[in-house]
Amino acid sequence: MRELFHEIGSSLRQNKLRTALTGFAVSWGIFLLIALLGAGNGLMNSFMGNMEQYVSQSISVEGWRTSKPYAGYKENRRIQLDNKDLEYTKGKDWEGRIHNVITATTGKSVTLTLGGNSVGAWMEGKMPEHLEQEKLQMAAGRYINQGDMDACRKVMVMSLAQAKELSPQKPEALIGQWVGAGEIAFRVVGIYHTDEQSFRRSSPIPYSTYKRIFDPSDKIESITFTVEGPRTLQEHQTFQEEYGGAIKRLHSIAPDDQRGIWIRNGYTENLQMSNASRILTIAMWILGLLTLVSGIVGVSNIMLITVKERTHEFGIRKAIGAKPGDILKLIIAESVSITALFGYVGMLLGMVACEILDKTVARKGVNIGFEEIKMLVNPSVGVDVAIEATLLLVLAGTLAGIIPAWKAARVKPIEALRAE
Amino acid sequence: MALIELNDINKTYNNGQPLHVLKGINLQIERGEFVSIMGASGSGKSTLLNILGILDNYDTGTYHLDGKLIKDLSEKQAADYRNRMIGFIFQSFNLIGFKTAVENVELPLYYQGVPRKKRQQLAMEYLEKMGLTPWANHFPNEMSGGQKQRVAIARALITQPRIILADEPTGALDSKTSVEVMQLLKQLNKEDNITIIVVTHEGGVANETDKIIHIKDGIIGKIEENFSHAAWQGSAMK
Repeated sequence: MRELFHEIGSSLRQNKLRTALTGFAVSWGIFLLIALLGAGNGLMNSFMGNMEQYVSQSISVEGWRTSKPYAGYKENRRIQLDNKDLEYTKGKDWEGRIHNVITATTGKSVTLTLGGNSVGAWMEGKMPEHLEQEKLQMAAGRYINQGDMDACRKVMVMSLAQAKELSPQKPEALIGQWVGAGEIAFRVVGIYHTDEQSFRRSSPIPYSTYKRIFDPSDKIESITFTVEGPRTLQEHQTFQEEYGGAIKRLHSIAPDDQRGIWIRNGYTENLQMSNASRILTIAMWILGLLTLVSGIVGVSNIMLITVKERTHEFGIRKAIGAKPGDILKLIIAESVSITALFGYVGMLLGMVACEILDKTVARKGVNIGFEEIKMLVNPSVGVDVAIEATLLLVLAGTLAGIIPAWKAARVKPIEALRAE
Repeated sequence: MALIELNDINKTYNNGQPLHVLKGINLQIERGEFVSIMGASGSGKSTLLNILGILDNYDTGTYHLDGKLIKDLSEKQAADYRNRMIGFIFQSFNLIGFKTAVENVELPLYYQGVPRKKRQQLAMEYLEKMGLTPWANHFPNEMSGGQKQRVAIARALITQPRIILADEPTGALDSKTSVEVMQLLKQLNKEDNITIIVVTHEGGVANETDKIIHIKDGIIGKIEENFSHAAWQGSAMK
């Protein structure tokens, strides 16, 4: 082995320009592969991170406006969910399939005041289950509980950003304090986390309290529940048609009216998102591999020229006893060394590029109005990808070397010696 | 059996117009002989040398080298025979440019799988014999023609081959160096009893050998015994 490396070393040193050109082609290919995969991962992390705040494993249904006349009703009729729909959803038709049915009210814009400080809020009636559904993280205190619901307590949960406005020095000291909301006062029982940039205005109070104070009717804004059974996109589609069709019948909406009610399916959104991320990953790999292929073609091309240039040398080697296998081994080892060495360099540079992306682009958010989102989150490639890329390189190097090596090994010594 | 036995060797090149180059060569060369093959360009002498050196194959006839039939060998086997039985000396030296003198000399042993230390030691011995010890770590382009040819001779000798084949060994050298190289070959033949075949078109070079085989139009003409080295009537060389 050492002998072979010595041989390779001297021939690579001999042709510095050629070695550099080949190396550049390979380094560039691998660099792009790693940088693309890293950036792709970053994009995906941000995509998933941003969506995770809103998408939960649940289905929500809300009333909308009809788009078709049906059963004597004109189009553009406002559909309002009410207790009938809730009873139906909880009813025996869906027993064992629909669980954890909860409801929420429409919101109400209020100004919260404490001492001289004030902050805008969107007050909504929520249920204890919404904590899980909306994936809220509590910073202090607790969320609305069943006790609050049963007793219709005047308690409130707010975001950390809002708490900071009301009590800049010690936001957590708000817990237990009474905060003004119009003519009514609510006791703060909990503060939920918001990430650094986002400013959320939702301030939930118990659903029962909201209904009693602001809206004593049996109207319901939205019904949210979890389901058991449907797994695939197809199964969810069928479920949605069945359930949505039933709700449409209850409200005399045309079965083919797309706009009478609005169903948001968190399961399918998650499924679609993981599909999208899988497609993104595949696309990145394909792009990267195609770039790499051009690198391999470059290496192969240069190896072909090399072989042509060195035909005379191979002739000498054959005359003094080199077997075809020796020549084959020499060239393949040379091309593997070039690809592995320069590919490794490209890989390191690609990782450095990911680091630079992380330190620059990933640190800055993009303002989308009410909050900032990050375009890239932790753009990097794992050790597994690095190992895969290295194996790919060795394979690529062998492939790049095979055709030229085969050509060189086959040349008859007498012809090789005549070549200049 | 003689060291080299050629029996009715025929060779035709088929490049468009078939060219019958060797038309039934019969030749015997014994161990320890110092022979030259002489002929004009196109006489077939180079083809004969390539066949003797197992660099090229022949169509019909038989070629025995040291008792072994050299016919229809695989590339691998041919390479092995060349490596162990034949030492080549070329007109244009054919040293590998990016290898030092000592690396060039040890290369045939590399293909025999001889360990590095042993190879280097042997190569240095042969370079010393050629008087090139101070040049061992120089590259070919740092040496004169005579020095390069002596490196090539060291390389040909290092595997202790049965025969040395020299193709116009003085063709690229000036007359003074040519004399030196021929003296060296002569000395190797006399002192180490090495069989040497020289192919040349120069009478002066052929005159240094003990036997001159004339080849013309693909057949062997006369074979002169030349122990008196008087076959060539001009100046000793050139």
